Amino acid sequence: MPVRSDACSMGEMLAVLLARDMADGEKAIVGTNSDIQVAACNLARQRQAPHLWWVSGPGGMTNATEGIVRPAADAENIAVAEAVMDLPQMIDFIDWQVHFFDFAILGALQTDRFGNINTVCIGDHARPKLRGPGTVGISALCGLSRRFYIMMTRHDRGAFVPKVDFICGAGHLDGGTSRTDRGLPEGGPRLVVTPLGVFDFEPEGKAMRVKSLHEGVTIEEVRDNTGFDLIVPAAIERTVSPDDEELFILRRAVDTTGVLARKFPWPKAN
Amino acid sequence: MTSSRKIVSLDTALSAVQDGMTLGIGGWIFHGQPMALVRGLIRKGVRDLTLVPSPGSVAPDILIGAGCAKATACVFISFEHLGLAPNFRRAAQAGHVKVMEMDGPGIAGGLRAGACDLPYGLIPDLGTDLPRVNPEGYRRARIQEGGRPLLEVPAIKPDVVFLHGQQADEEGNIQYFGAAYFDLLMAQAARHVICSVDRIVPSSTVRQSARLTKIPSAFVDAVVVAPYGAHPGASSGLYEQDEAHLKAYVTASRDQKSFDGYLAEHVHGANGEQTYLDHIGAGTLASLSSGTSKP
Repeated sequence: MPVRSDACSMGEMLAVLLARDMADGEKAIVGTNSDIQVAACNLARQRQAPHLWWVSGPGGMTNATEGIVRPAADAENIAVAEAVMDLPQMIDFIDWQVHFFDFAILGALQTDRFGNINTVCIGDHARPKLRGPGTVGISALCGLSRRFYIMMTRHDRGAFVPKVDFICGAGHLDGGTSRTDRGLPEGGPRLVVTPLGVFDFEPEGKAMRVKSLHEGVTIEEVRDNTGFDLIVPAAIERTVSPDDEELFILRRAVDTTGVLARKFPWPKAN
Repeated sequence: MTSSRKIVSLDTALSAVQDGMTLGIGGWIFHGQPMALVRGLIRKGVRDLTLVPSPGSVAPDILIGAGCAKATACVFISFEHLGLAPNFRRAAQAGHVKVMEMDGPGIAGGLRAGACDLPYGLIPDLGTDLPRVNPEGYRRARIQEGGRPLLEVPAIKPDVVFLHGQQADEEGNIQYFGAAYFDLLMAQAARHVICSVDRIVPSSTVRQSARLTKIPSAFVDAVVVAPYGAHPGASSGLYEQDEAHLKAYVTASRDQKSFDGYLAEHVHGANGEQTYLDHIGAGTLASLSSGTSKP
């Protein structure tokens, strides 16, 4: 992948793109290793969604805000939170209740044409080529939230496969109405954000579709790096890059110590 | 402090753990990993354990790397920004450890059923491949016509659980300065509960801030005083995770021979934990408590 704009880091770009899609008053959950997710939620709270409510999945702290992007499970978040809940209570609305959360933002080892998620293994589960970390809350958040976002820090044929080797988070399953046919609540992935572009899902068949490509990215490059046929609209939009105001607020109010720039630079050119 | 019935030595506490048992492990990824207890277990040479870790990192990974586990539940075992859990990954890929694939609802429903003396919990069927690879852990439940699809998850009742809190009193009230994650639920579900704490404090200190007591003494069978007992992980409010040590651990885990070297150097020394702490060094431990490694 080519080196991108030096106006912002990849982590900042992804946080801005996710933040733009959040609405005021929504409820969200953030997992343990979630710097970009924390930044996106707090950026949205600083801009169009001041009443967005987010909770640290494992730690139970709500709306932890102090201008520093910390691991969401850390005790330091307690002093800057509005409430602290205990996990054995939280599981009721994380693992059972339908549509408590408006959205979650999830990464993956693999995703596929219908936005299913795999963080368990590459290859056969019994003797995997690569053993991943496991499912944790991904099954419940993909299955029960009103919508979810897929955030990929790499975009290549290893990560974008025709069919994931293991479904640990149900996207649109086999497309069409297969998700609700299977008994799952309405929902599924809404956007996929990657270093190359933003993708959504065609409303009928539910297959992944190009929504916009980032500055300097060509459709050929996206095709070369995607292991299945994307739906390509007649006219492809260009992603609106983070503007000065978004980056100013991100850097001066949300991520003042530059965690995103340090941890999520653009991938180096091949 | 000698009058306490709950505070015991590491060896005394670990006498409750026998070969073949099911061992629950508390904490969350790099937080509150009960490492002093885990290292003690490796020294003791326990074998054929079935692990049920909360989403964890180095605690399940080192037990698997040391050959103590024949099987493990996997809700999530990860080194987060430092990569995949190296020994778990190697053992799972080679088929040397049986992996019982689980998810958040599976462990939550199973522990809650265990805590409530119910045979199984009911969780939503979320359309994943988990029941396919773990049919004993996820059974299709009978539902009413048109009802929400559900799965049965068998009760989880670990023979022993290991937890790590920051401080305790002589009665065995365990206080946490940060989140307690699944620790209380694990304690409720388990047959025997062993907690390590970084320090022991007077009862008056516990009573001053009773809201910090996440595991009341009735749920605790043994307390082991283990300063820096969560190292190389973090203990909320007391010390950060040791990034340099964790990176060295990952490097040492590249193959079994190399990892055996790590265990020989860090775990199998005489005098157990005291030797371990001397080996890590006072300067390193002090810096982890100083707050200077934070962003």
